[in-house]
Amino acid sequence: MAENREPRGAVEAELDPVEYTLRKRLPHRLPRRPNDIYVNMKTDFKAQLARCQKLLDGGARGQNSCSEIYIHGLGLAINRAINIALQLQAGSFGSLQVAANTSTVELVDELEPETDAREPLTRIRNNSAIHIRVFRVAPK
Amino acid sequence: MSNAKERKHAKKMRNQPTNVTLSSGFVADRGTKYHNGGGRHFHQAQKQEPFPGTSRQRQTKMTHHSPVDPDVKEQSSSKIMFKKKGGWKAGPEGMSQEIPKYITASTFAQARAAEISAMLKAVTQKSSNSLVFQTLPRHMRRRAMSHNVKRLPRRLREIAQKEAEKAVHQKKEHSKNKCHKARRCHKNRVLEFNRRQKKNIWLETHIWHAKRFHMVKKWGYCLGERPTVKSHRACYRAMTNRCLLQDLSYYCCLELKGKEEEILKALSPMCSIDAGLTFAAVHCLSGKCQGSVLLYRANRYPREMLGPVTFIWKSERTPSHTSESRQLWIWLHPMLKQDILEELKAACQCVEPIKPTICTPGPLLTTSEEKSQTELPDEKIGKKRKRKDDGENAKPVKKVIGDGTRDPHQPSSWISAATGIIISDLTMEMNRLRLIGPLSHSILTEALKAASVQTEGEDTEKTPHHWWIETCKNPDSVSLHHRQEAIFELLGGITSPAEIPSGTILGLTVGDPRINLPPKRSKVLPNPEKCQDNEKVRQLLLEGVPVDCAHSFIWNQAICKNVTENKISDQDLNRRRSELLVPGSQLVLGPQESKIPILLIQQPGKVTGDDRRGWGSGWDILFPKGWGMAFWIPFIYRGARVGGLKESVMHSQYKRSPDIPGDFPDCPAGVVFAEEQAKNLLEKYKRRPPAKRPNYVKLGTLAPFCCPWEQLAQEWESRVQAQEEPSVASSPSGEDSDSRRDKLPCAPTPENTDLWSDEGGTSLSSCSEPREAMDTECPARVGTEWVACQDATGSLLCVLRSRKWLKQLSTWCGPSSRDKRAARRASGSGEPAPTRAACLPLLERFPRALVWVSLALLRKGSPEPHSMICVPTEEDFLRLRQDQLYCGPQESKHSDPFKSEIRKQKERKKVEKRQNKQAPTEREGLAGGPPAAGHQALTLGLWSGPLPGVTSHCSRVLLGFVTQGDFSMAVGGGEALGFVSLTGLLDMLSTQPAAERGLVLLRAPASPQYRFARIAVEV
Repeated sequence: MAENREPRGAVEAELDPVEYTLRKRLPHRLPRRPNDIYVNMKTDFKAQLARCQKLLDGGARGQNSCSEIYIHGLGLAINRAINIALQLQAGSFGSLQVAANTSTVELVDELEPETDAREPLTRIRNNSAIHIRVFRVAPK
Repeated sequence: MSNAKERKHAKKMRNQPTNVTLSSGFVADRGTKYHNGGGRHFHQAQKQEPFPGTSRQRQTKMTHHSPVDPDVKEQSSSKIMFKKKGGWKAGPEGMSQEIPKYITASTFAQARAAEISAMLKAVTQKSSNSLVFQTLPRHMRRRAMSHNVKRLPRRLREIAQKEAEKAVHQKKEHSKNKCHKARRCHKNRVLEFNRRQKKNIWLETHIWHAKRFHMVKKWGYCLGERPTVKSHRACYRAMTNRCLLQDLSYYCCLELKGKEEEILKALSPMCSIDAGLTFAAVHCLSGKCQGSVLLYRANRYPREMLGPVTFIWKSERTPSHTSESRQLWIWLHPMLKQDILEELKAACQCVEPIKPTICTPGPLLTTSEEKSQTELPDEKIGKKRKRKDDGENAKPVKKVIGDGTRDPHQPSSWISAATGIIISDLTMEMNRLRLIGPLSHSILTEALKAASVQTEGEDTEKTPHHWWIETCKNPDSVSLHHRQEAIFELLGGITSPAEIPSGTILGLTVGDPRINLPPKRSKVLPNPEKCQDNEKVRQLLLEGVPVDCAHSFIWNQAICKNVTENKISDQDLNRRRSELLVPGSQLVLGPQESKIPILLIQQPGKVTGDDRRGWGSGWDILFPKGWGMAFWIPFIYRGARVGGLKESVMHSQYKRSPDIPGDFPDCPAGVVFAEEQAKNLLEKYKRRPPAKRPNYVKLGTLAPFCCPWEQLAQEWESRVQAQEEPSVASSPSGEDSDSRRDKLPCAPTPENTDLWSDEGGTSLSSCSEPREAMDTECPARVGTEWVACQDATGSLLCVLRSRKWLKQLSTWCGPSSRDKRAARRASGSGEPAPTRAACLPLLERFPRALVWVSLALLRKGSPEPHSMICVPTEEDFLRLRQDQLYCGPQESKHSDPFKSEIRKQKERKKVEKRQNKQAPTEREGLAGGPPAAGHQALTLGLWSGPLPGVTSHCSRVLLGFVTQGDFSMAVGGGEALGFVSLTGLLDMLSTQPAAERGLVLLRAPASPQYRFARIAVEV
C-alpha cells in the first residue's frame, strides 16, 4: 500500500498528456452469483428493473424465485441502484425490504507511455459503491 | 450463349441421330441434301441454284474434306443442329419455311433411311450417364437392384451385368490397393497424413478441426474457417461471458539473437515512435510485457508499410550485464512473413545462411540424423510396447511435427558477420493457443498444474527429463518456480483477464496436462474461495508480474527439443491409466511425467474508445511443438468453445481493431488480400443469373468488390485543390479570405518542409536517451526524403498512423450530442471546428492518406463490407432535424450505359452464329475470336473499363469505404469499420455545423438507401 502511494504523488506532478495516455481498467469484481445484479448506466432503467422483478418473482409458477437479491451500483450508477431497489419495494405491497451497504472500490487507472523511455504507471482512484440487499419478509 | 452451355449441348447430342449423319457418299451432294432434309436452308440453296459452278466447287471441296476426320464432321454437324435450334427460337426472319418445289425421290429416301438407322442405333444404345436400373420407370424398380442383377427385367440384365463389371473395375483402380481396415491402421494412417501435409502445413490440431470445421487452405496452411455447427452467436457469448479457444499456431515467429544495442539499432529505422511505442520501450525491453509495433520499410515511415507485429524480449535473469546476448521473438501473420523477413534480413545485414543441420532442430534435420533421433526415445517407449505386442518390432513411422512442407535443405537461420545478429525462422516450432474471455483464468488454472519439483538425483543424461532435474538442483530456480506457481494460482481468483496489465508475460513449467483430464467434458466455474486473497491479488493487478517471473525455459531450443521428443504417447498414457488399481483414480507418473515449459501472454482486449473496455481480452499460451493436442483437449474438457478464422475476424471487429491482412490497404499483404477477395466475390457474383443479382451500374456502385483507395485519395486531393482555386479567384465572402490565406503554403515549398522537420525534431527530442542520437538525425532525413517522396512516389498510398494526429482527429471528429461529458471536454480544451489552418500541416504531410475510422449507425441498418461512406448534404441534415425517425436519403437510379452495348454484342454474336451456320467450315475460324473476347469484358451489372470519378459518381460525395461491417452483438446495432480519405474527412468536418459534426451516410453496395452513421476516430 505504502509503496503504491508513494510514486503516486510523484506521478501526478509529472503527468503530461503528451507523454502518457490514460486508460481506465475494469473494476475488480468477484464471481457473480445468480442473484447478483450489477446496475449500469447504459442499459435501459426499465429493463433492469424488470430483470430484478423477474428474479424475485421466479418463473411462471413461482419456482426458482430468489428470496433475496443483491443490487450493486458503482459511482454514477449508485443513484440508479437505489432507485431500482425503492421501486421494487414500492411495487411489492410491503413484502419486500431493503438493506443497504456502502463501500469504497479501488479503481485502477493505467497510464500508457507515449515515449519509449517511460514505464507504464498505474494510479489508484477510489469510488463509492452501494450494495443493496432486497429480501422478502413474511407479510403480517 | 456461353461456351459451357454449348459444350453441354454438344455432349447431349453426341449420341443423337442427326439428319446430317450420312455416310461419306452422301456428303458429296450436300447442296442437294439441304433441299430435302433440312427445310431451313432451302432458301439459300435455292439462291445458289443459278450458279451451278460455285456449288460444284463447294461440292468438290466437301469431298476433299469429308474423309479426313469423321469426328470433326460429327461435331460440326451437331453444332449446326444446335445453332439451328437457337435460330428457331429467336429470329423470325430465318424461318422461311416454304414447301419445296420438287423432291428427288432416291436422295430423299436415302436420307430418311439414314435417319431411321440412326434412330434405331440411338434406341439400342443408352445415351445418358445413368445406370440401367436408374432408367427404369419407378413402378418397375426393386430394392437392391444395383447390387443384384437378377432383380432387373431379363432384357436389361445383360447390359446391367456389363455395367456392374465396369463399376467394379473402376473401383479397383481408385482404391488404394488396401482394404479399409488396413488403411485405418495407425501406421498407414500416419503415412497418409504425412503425405497429405506436404503441400499445406497442418496444425497439430488439424484432425480435430477437420472433423468439426469447414477447412480452408490459406497462407500455406490448412485452417479451420468456421465450425460446421451453427454457432455465430454462441461464439460471441463465449467471448463475452465464457471462453473461446483458438489455435493460432499458424502465426509465424522470427527470432533475433544478438546484442541488444545492435538489434535496436538495426530495427529502429523500421518503426517510428510517431506511430506508437517501438522495440525499445522500457517495459517491453525488460521482458516484462509484450509489445506491438507497426513495421515499415527502413526509413520510409509514413509510406511502405509492412505490417503489424507483436514482439517479446526474453527477460534477463541477471540484470547486471545487459549488453549480453538477447533474444527477441517477433510474432506475425503468415501473410506478412515473406516481406518482413526480407526486410529484417536487410536491416540486420544477415546474409549468410547457417546450414540447417547445425543450429536448428526438428524437421530440418537430415534423414540420417532424424533416424538416430527417433531411435533414442524409442528405446524407452519400445520396451513398454514390446511387453504388449512382442512380435512387432517394426519401427514406428514418425509423425510429422511442425512444418511438413519445408525443404530440409532450405536455410532457416541467417547470421550477419558485421553485427553478429542471428535471425532464425521459428515457424511451427511452437504452438500458440489463444483463450479469449473471462473464464480463461479458471480454465487455465484448472487445466494446468505447475510441475512438481524433482529432487531425487537419478542417472543424468539418460533420464528423459534431465533438464528439469538439473534445474531443480539450483535453489534459485526452484524458488523462482515456486513464485511463478504462486502467481499462476492467483490468476484463478481474478475474474477477467482485462484486470491485469496489458501484455503481461508469465513463464511457467507445467506438468503433463493430460494426467488430470476430467472423465467427462465439463464447464468450470470461477471458484469464489480463491478470490479472497486480497493483498496479493491487489499487488498483481497493480504491478503486474515481476520481471523475473517472465522467465521460461521455452526460450531454450535444446530444452524444447527434449520436451518434444520425450512426450509420452497417448497410447502409453491410456494403457497406464487402465492398469491403475482403482479405475478412475489419479494417475501418478512420478519422475516420468513430462515437464513442459510454457509462456503465458496476456492479450489486451478492446483498448481504444470509451465503451466496452477490455472486451475480448484473454491469454495466449505458447508451448513447444508436439504438445498441441495434449493441451487442446484439456482446455476443451474444461468448457472452452473453439472458434475458427471467422471468429477471429469477429473478435477484431468487435474490438474495433483492424483485421490483419484485410485492413492494411497500404501493405503488400493487404493488397494481395484485397485482390483475392475481389476475385472471389466476382466469381460468386457471376454465378448468379443476371436477373437474380444486383445491377451495380444502376445502383451507382462503381466498385462493389474492391475499394479503389488510390483513386479515392487522389480525387479528394484534386477536389479540394479545385475547390479552393475558384473561391480564391472569384468570391469575396468571409470564408474565402480564410482559404486564401491557407492557399499560400499549399505547394510544398522548401521552407515549409524545413518547418516540418524542425517540428519533428522538437517533438522527438523528448525521446529515450539511447535513441536520441539517431532521432536527431532522423527528422532531417525524413524531411529531405519527404520532398523526394512528393516528387517520385507521391502517388503511394499511406494510412495515417501518427498517434499525435490521430488524437487530434478524434477530438475534431466531434462532440457527440449524446455524450455530454465528451462534449464538455472538447469545448473545455478549446477544440472548435477544425479550421483549414489547423489541418494544413496535416494535409501537407499526408496529401493522400487514409484514416481508420469506426462508424456506429444512428438508427437501423447493418452495414456490409464495401459499403460506401458518403458526405451528407445540407438538405439531409435539415430533414434529420425535422424528423427524428428519418432514415436517410435514397440514391436515384442510374442509367446503365453498358446494357445496350451488351445487347448489341449479343445480337452481333447471334448474327455471326447464323452466318457460321450458313457457311460452317469457312467462317468458323475467322469469326470465333473477337466477339468472344469482347463478351468476356462486359458483365451485366458491373462497371467495365476504367472507373470514372468515384467521389462524385453518386448524389452524395464519396468519402471512403467500409472494410468490416455487420450487426454488432456487442453494441446491439450496426457497426462498421473502414477507411476514409483524410483530405475528405477534414473537408467534411470543417464545413459541418457543430451539432451534426461527424455524421456521415452509409450505403451498402446493393442498396439505394443511405443511412446515417456517426464517425469516430479511436486512438
